[in-house]
Amino acid sequence: MGTNLENWEVILFYIMVGAYFASTVFYWIGMAAKKDFIAHLGTFGAILGLIANTGAIILRWVISQRPPLTNGYEFILTFCWAIVFIYLFAEFRYKFKALGSFVMPVAFLLLVFIIMSMGPSERVAAAIPPALKSKWLTFHVATAMLAYGAFAISLGLALMYLIKVKASNEKKDNWISRLPNETVLDDLSYKMICFAFPMMTLCIVTGAIWANYAWGTYWSWDPKETWSLVTWIIYAAYLHARLMYGWKGKRAAWLAVIGFAAVLFTFFGVNYFLPGLHSYA
Amino acid sequence: MDNRSDGLIDKVWDIFSSMKTGLVLLGLVAIVSAIGTLIPQESLDPEGARAVSEIWRTLGFTRVYNSPVFQFLLGLLCINLIVCSVQRFGGIYKMTYKPEPIQEQAKLPQKVKATVTGSQAEELKQKTLALFKKKGFHVTELEKEGKWCFTAQKHRSGNWGSFVTHIAFVILILGALIGSLSGFKGYMMASEGSVVPIQEIEISKGKVQENFMVRINSVEDRILPTGERDNWYTNLSIIESGVEVLQGTLSVNHPLTYKGVTFYQSSYATGALFNLEVEGKEYTIPLHNGGIYNPPGTHLYLVLAGMKTGAENSVILYQLYNEKSQIGMGQLTSGESDTIDDTYKLTFDKAIAFTGLQVKKDPGVWVVWLGSALLMVGLVLCFYWRPVRIAGILETKEDHEARLDLGAHTGKLYTGIKEEFEKLIEELKE
Repeated sequence: MGTNLENWEVILFYIMVGAYFASTVFYWIGMAAKKDFIAHLGTFGAILGLIANTGAIILRWVISQRPPLTNGYEFILTFCWAIVFIYLFAEFRYKFKALGSFVMPVAFLLLVFIIMSMGPSERVAAAIPPALKSKWLTFHVATAMLAYGAFAISLGLALMYLIKVKASNEKKDNWISRLPNETVLDDLSYKMICFAFPMMTLCIVTGAIWANYAWGTYWSWDPKETWSLVTWIIYAAYLHARLMYGWKGKRAAWLAVIGFAAVLFTFFGVNYFLPGLHSYA
Repeated sequence: MDNRSDGLIDKVWDIFSSMKTGLVLLGLVAIVSAIGTLIPQESLDPEGARAVSEIWRTLGFTRVYNSPVFQFLLGLLCINLIVCSVQRFGGIYKMTYKPEPIQEQAKLPQKVKATVTGSQAEELKQKTLALFKKKGFHVTELEKEGKWCFTAQKHRSGNWGSFVTHIAFVILILGALIGSLSGFKGYMMASEGSVVPIQEIEISKGKVQENFMVRINSVEDRILPTGERDNWYTNLSIIESGVEVLQGTLSVNHPLTYKGVTFYQSSYATGALFNLEVEGKEYTIPLHNGGIYNPPGTHLYLVLAGMKTGAENSVILYQLYNEKSQIGMGQLTSGESDTIDDTYKLTFDKAIAFTGLQVKKDPGVWVVWLGSALLMVGLVLCFYWRPVRIAGILETKEDHEARLDLGAHTGKLYTGIKEEFEKLIEELKE
């Protein structure tokens, strides 16, 4: 039965890859060709992908009998889930399809990263070291994924904002002119960060509590910890600059871009360039 | 003279109360922290740190997080946070609990505003009050020169969000400071059955004040039927003045605490129990794989160079040195003996398990948790408990029409507040 489930998991994984790819393409065509119908297909693809993504996560959970949050493959699976889930929420809440063109490729590219860089042996449900056997793992990783997902969307919004502003002098009717207006993009990007920042703080705090149980120290300046702090500080600076100096628009958007670069470095870069205690993912 | 020093104090105060200073300090903390991840640190990677060229080591780049510069930065940041918080306390308190209603129409918030009219001033006033009350607003009123002015607030505690967050940060740093100035951090590797005085463990930081013994009752490397490792378990007893005062089992992620001293399962090793006879004296020697032992009063060093454990029998490889050179080596199966140089008799009794425990006392850890909890409370207040503040003035005009002007303070977010305000006004107009 085990192999059967594993086969299903692989099938769901590729359905998810296909759906996220199709969704990206439909959003792009829909935006470029001004066809709402095609953009609807994009949303449909995202929903289908999310269902397959959810299925893959649940199957992995059943197969390994623990929350699927313990290796790089499982993290990315959950990360994609969080990005698409938060994105779809934002689309329905704010009626905002153009966002899909910027967010869906992020999810798709993350999956491409899995396909290109992880062999089958890195993807399977593997035995985990005793240090990972903790209920704090679930909180720690779930908050990280929600925070990173929302940061990813704030990046998409910030990029849209920058493109929109750059093209604002041209009076052409093209896909750029059909993006929501600058204030909406700017506001929503900020809202995403407002949601993500406390999540990220909670992620760091639960990580500290867990580290204190597992290693006897709540903070050891491990590269992963340190880079999460650096990322936290960048977003803290964003919030302060925005509230106190009224940094909106362009400067805020650039800070959101830099912030997400730090997120990516914390998530991927640290593991590849700066090994430390946090070596699982 | 006085004036001049006042001026200086004011200047320093101004610098510390500025958010710009705070942001610059945070930025510096981020940069220094990041540098610490690029250069090997003594605390995490001692070998790597030794390989760094001497200039950098002397300048403290291999111990960034303990360096005076870094601690100075954190200290300045704390002062900045405290000064900022002190300065803002009064304002937040007044705004939250004793707001002064705005008395001139022109001063009402202009970005999100509305006007409601009615035939009867008193009726409109009561209706407004009832609506705000229904919606959970707290209303502060003021009657002046025929005008009725008010400030209505919802989620008032949200005003404290940033204050709580900043204080929490100071508490966190304070907790870390307490931890680094008191308590201790150490490590012990001990075999089943051994008794270790807490004073004699390897200490990497601080000093052990406590005086009790730790007896390792059992050590287990538990493997699940699937072949996967479940966990490492150590059962230990704390013995104080010869009396067992606590017994418990710990494993990775499940530490054990006695009188503020916490034991964390950190590693596991296999080892051997030896018996060595030297000139009529017998030594019982527990050694973990790779371990080295010098029987007191001798010039001998016994090394357990390798071992293989089996269900029935285990095999070990030993080496024996005197101060100058190796005098013997050999392979022994459980129960076997070797005689070396016709003088020493070494017996390998049996394989035993060793447990590696981190031992730590950190009185600051509770302060850190308090700070963390407050940080979360503060952030939730900031971002999920956004205060709504509406100001209004009711006036009876010359044509006896009652006119109510309202405006909402938008603060951080324009859209959300606007929607809520518009709903309120709609209900008021009904």
